[in-house]
Amino acid sequence: MASPISIRGVSRRFGETVALRTVDLEVAAGEFIALVGPSGCGKTTLLRIVADLVDPSTGEVRIGNATAAEARRQRLLGLVSQRPAVLPWKRAIDDVRFTQKIAGKVGFDPAKVLREFGLEGHENKRARQLSGGMLQRVNIASAMAHDPAVLLMDEPFAALDEMKREEIGEWFDRELAVRPKTVLFVTHHIDEAVMLADRLLVFSPSPGRVLEVVSVPVPRPRDASFRQDPRFVAIAGHVRSLLMHRTVDAA
Amino acid sequence: MRDAALSWSLRVATPILSVLGLWYLAIFFSGLPAFVIPRPERVLDVLWVDRAFIFEHLLATLEVAGFGFLWANIAGIGLAVLFDLLPPTRHMLMPAAITLRNVPYIALISVLMLAFGDSILSKTTIVALSGFFPVLVNTLQGLRSADEVQLDRMRILNASWWQTFSQVRLPYAIPSIVAAQEITGSGAIIVAIAAEWMISSTGLGYVINNAMQNYRGDKVYAVALLATALSFLIYSLVHWLGRRLDWRAGDPRR
Repeated sequence: MASPISIRGVSRRFGETVALRTVDLEVAAGEFIALVGPSGCGKTTLLRIVADLVDPSTGEVRIGNATAAEARRQRLLGLVSQRPAVLPWKRAIDDVRFTQKIAGKVGFDPAKVLREFGLEGHENKRARQLSGGMLQRVNIASAMAHDPAVLLMDEPFAALDEMKREEIGEWFDRELAVRPKTVLFVTHHIDEAVMLADRLLVFSPSPGRVLEVVSVPVPRPRDASFRQDPRFVAIAGHVRSLLMHRTVDAA
Repeated sequence: MRDAALSWSLRVATPILSVLGLWYLAIFFSGLPAFVIPRPERVLDVLWVDRAFIFEHLLATLEVAGFGFLWANIAGIGLAVLFDLLPPTRHMLMPAAITLRNVPYIALISVLMLAFGDSILSKTTIVALSGFFPVLVNTLQGLRSADEVQLDRMRILNASWWQTFSQVRLPYAIPSIVAAQEITGSGAIIVAIAAEWMISSTGLGYVINNAMQNYRGDKVYAVALLATALSFLIYSLVHWLGRRLDWRAGDPRR
């Protein structure tokens, strides 16, 4: 299950500070959108507005036919943070069940999904007994355990090393093919964004505004060979130059 | 195995031997009379001979300390939960709690004595008043120490206040609450004895007072020894219980 997202005239200021200038975006059901930009550009703020954790100063977000607040109350949203939100005193499998219990929805069989996530034999371990990559997989499993229509991900792989990051990215792409979700994915890692996303929202430095929406017209899931594809190189290069010029201009 | 047993007996024996050694040194070098500083064997003898009398008063002290401790926790944890549930109450009640905390206990004991006389109520109230503040402050701080990403997770799942409180905030607060128990638990004994010393005709505090008036230093020491052991025992018990409740126990990163 996946829902379209409509972001209309959304902006946010904190007191005098403009955190995010007006953003308009229509996201199709099942689409993967990467929000790319330097630190402090407002990409996390936009994610938190869609999550109904922050109110927009102007505009509104609609998820399917619901407002962001209604979508949250209907448990249509899943949130994956950079720091895993796995409860330190719970075993991996109990943490996945915990989401289902709180949401009152059983999206899938926790044991089965942990197996599919490559965590067979680790179901009964606690957070501190798992490696960073495994812990992030448990975190994603828990975030998806109630089968949300929308996944909101805030630099989920940033704490992992480069190898792990690529590996988990490809794995996640394949997972989404099995369980389609509409995804908003915050990252400052350009290659990761091009590898995973259907479209990239490229942000300028603060106060954040969208410089360009870049499409990656290659079907998902994509395998590692896409990194050598001339289209990958061209798109990543274009995004890099967008961000570089902006950073230089700002400086 | 033998090494473990040996090191354990050393750990127990060393402090006892050093205390006894210092005690004898003090007797020989201070030149103070025996009613001021009696010999250890004399003190143990008193503890044994007067055991029925002392035990009776020990029970009275334990009653005061136990109920006071209980009320300190009910008030401390209860207020912290109330402040968390209804933040405005914090601004209303916290100044009163801080004021109460800073009034000299002797003044409070006097007022309570006037109000309730020498009763379990007045003594229990003093123990509760002296103990609730560390519980309140630690519980509040513990409830706020919950990881922000966990709280976001609960919000995104539209969890109720009670679910967030019982499943996330309270478990995060437990180490802080336990730390407060170590202060309040052993403090309860000390404060109970002090209150009894001032206003009571029962309890270990009364026994000390009574012994002093009869120049029975040995009896004072006997009670002091007992009270210290008791306070230490309670501290150890709370500490042991706390480690069993603490989800961080055994975490190598601690």
